Amino acid sequence: MEKKNFKLNAAFINRNRSYLLLVLIMICGLFAKNFYTPYNIQAVTGNGSLVIWLGLGFTIVLIAGHMDMTVMYMSTFAALLTLGLHADQKLPWLLCVIIGALMGVLNGLIMGLLVTKLKIHAFIASIGMQLVLRGVMYVYCNGKELSIGKDYTWNDMLNGKLIPFLPLSTYFIITTIFIFGVMVILRYTRLGRNIHMVGGNAETAWLAGIKSDMVVIAAFVISGLAAGLGGALNGIYSGAANVTMGEKGISPFYMAFTACVIGGTDIYGGKGSVIWTYVSLIMIAFLKALCKSTELQVLVIGAALVLCLVYETVAKYNRDKVLGRRPNLYIEYKNETGNAK
Amino acid sequence: MSEVKKNENTTAPKVDTRKTEINKFTLLFNKLGIWIIVVLLIVVGLIVSGGQFFGKSNIQSILEAVALVGMVCAGLFYVTYSGNMTDMSVPITMAFGGVMAVQCINFGFVGAIVVGLLAGALIGVINGFMIGKMRANAIIWTLAVNLLISGVIRVVWQGKMLYAEDIAREDMQDSANLFYSISRTYIGGVISLMAIVMLVMFFISWIIHTKTGFGQKLKIIGTNYEVAKFSGINCTRQLMIAYVINGLCSATAGIFYAALRKCASYENGTGYDFDALTAILLGGVSLNGGKGSIAGTIGGVLAYGMLNNILSWVGLGTYSKYLVQGIVFLFIVWLNTYSNRKLGKA
Repeated sequence: MEKKNFKLNAAFINRNRSYLLLVLIMICGLFAKNFYTPYNIQAVTGNGSLVIWLGLGFTIVLIAGHMDMTVMYMSTFAALLTLGLHADQKLPWLLCVIIGALMGVLNGLIMGLLVTKLKIHAFIASIGMQLVLRGVMYVYCNGKELSIGKDYTWNDMLNGKLIPFLPLSTYFIITTIFIFGVMVILRYTRLGRNIHMVGGNAETAWLAGIKSDMVVIAAFVISGLAAGLGGALNGIYSGAANVTMGEKGISPFYMAFTACVIGGTDIYGGKGSVIWTYVSLIMIAFLKALCKSTELQVLVIGAALVLCLVYETVAKYNRDKVLGRRPNLYIEYKNETGNAK
Repeated sequence: MSEVKKNENTTAPKVDTRKTEINKFTLLFNKLGIWIIVVLLIVVGLIVSGGQFFGKSNIQSILEAVALVGMVCAGLFYVTYSGNMTDMSVPITMAFGGVMAVQCINFGFVGAIVVGLLAGALIGVINGFMIGKMRANAIIWTLAVNLLISGVIRVVWQGKMLYAEDIAREDMQDSANLFYSISRTYIGGVISLMAIVMLVMFFISWIIHTKTGFGQKLKIIGTNYEVAKFSGINCTRQLMIAYVINGLCSATAGIFYAALRKCASYENGTGYDFDALTAILLGGVSLNGGKGSIAGTIGGVLAYGMLNNILSWVGLGTYSKYLVQGIVFLFIVWLNTYSNRKLGKA
């Protein structure tokens, strides 16, 4: 087995930037007041959980080489549906959550079919589905804000601690378990490797005998399931849901997208990990707790995103330039900066 | 033997084995494209509204509703045409143009407009440099710019609404009033200034697209970037120009929007990126680049406005319109893709 030699250089920092940023935020937290209290940690991780579900879906579809912008509206719709069904039809919570998740699966299936069978570009298809979902949402609840009512059993359960000595809410722990489940699927199963392969080069994957249509549909379904389930649980967790969730302040979609890029998921598909997105999203959640004003949050997150993109783009530009003119120099360049980028 | 076969394989012309159906209907549909839908919508509108569709007030409201989207489309066309999909920083370009124009109202009316346009051009230059020179992913980069500039505007102006009459000095109140009035002027009492500006911008855009070298070069770049590069076209420069035109057009729309809303803030222009992209795609501009025309884009903008108008006549609320819009959008995009595939064009 080849031994990985450790070298502290730009490539190492770039590869582990999500972890390093998390450490940086944690160090900054030492100087903030009341940052390391159990209550704060529980609140921050719990409130950041919705975005983790969205980031998970976005990352999987990005790995498969497409873009899914419906995740935000899907989660809002699932939250509205869950609360509405419980209030109006008196269904038990479990059934409501399952119906919310199934709506997510349905949305993912429609997106997958639009992209693979009708050959509409994923970005365009998701814009269309966004409009449809928004319409359905408004028709369902007439623009009202739905609240949880008087039944607080599941709300207490999700807000409470699962493990007594850990300051983490049950909602966050469910999120983490789901993330690791998806990580195992992506890394160790045939479907997961196929998703990576289709994202890297769809034509090669097809020639190698992968049913690329099915794989892309599966990626969209997992994304929809994550958005639906996360949205449904978030509706119960926060106790209220309305149609304009996330249109004020910094939208959850932007946070999910930023985390994908900061985490290191390749924007052209084929490379990435949900764990990187997960760590970046926890970083962003703590960052939001650290900067009090929304204005500063937007600026800092935007600056981090732009810096990451500029670094990646310039590195790619330089690599292409060296590779094109002097192939022998490229080997030197590679030795100097390491393998990544 | 095997070598011969290999040679045969490589020299044989590549035959597209996909099934194509070239008949009169598909050809006609592909050529006329969106204008069929426009005529269809006019007929539906006449039936639904009981003949009032061509009334003076109705046409005015349609034109006013599409004016801002049309202004954005006149510039965004070039970005889509050059194969860079879309510009997600349109909302923030609009907001930035409006904010800068209102902030600089003390330079006089003309000065404010010029500063607003320059602000739009600045964002265009940033986008053009990163996408044209450094070959960043267009959608991802413009999304990032949207977030960053939004943060800058929020921090600098503390998320406040800007009102021109508050910022203007005593002797500059006239220019503030003039600034507000540009979105409410009717030329000859009939047609809104916004609609005129939109049409003029489309006309200029049409001239640039068809009569200049820039438009022709952009077509090659959009069709095949590598070919354009190796045939000696300065791709970086053309893409920069495309993005600067886009920034200028978006900033114009932003200034009109700020004047219409009587205030400027970071949230001006939210949703205009998707609206403009919808109109452009309805107009038959290919997302892969290099295919489409300004005439089609105008048709797309009109169809978009008329669809909204007809849905209002039917009596749907603002929000349930989204549902119908989304389904119609998906259907038309599918029709476009399908007819292109059947003709072997895509």
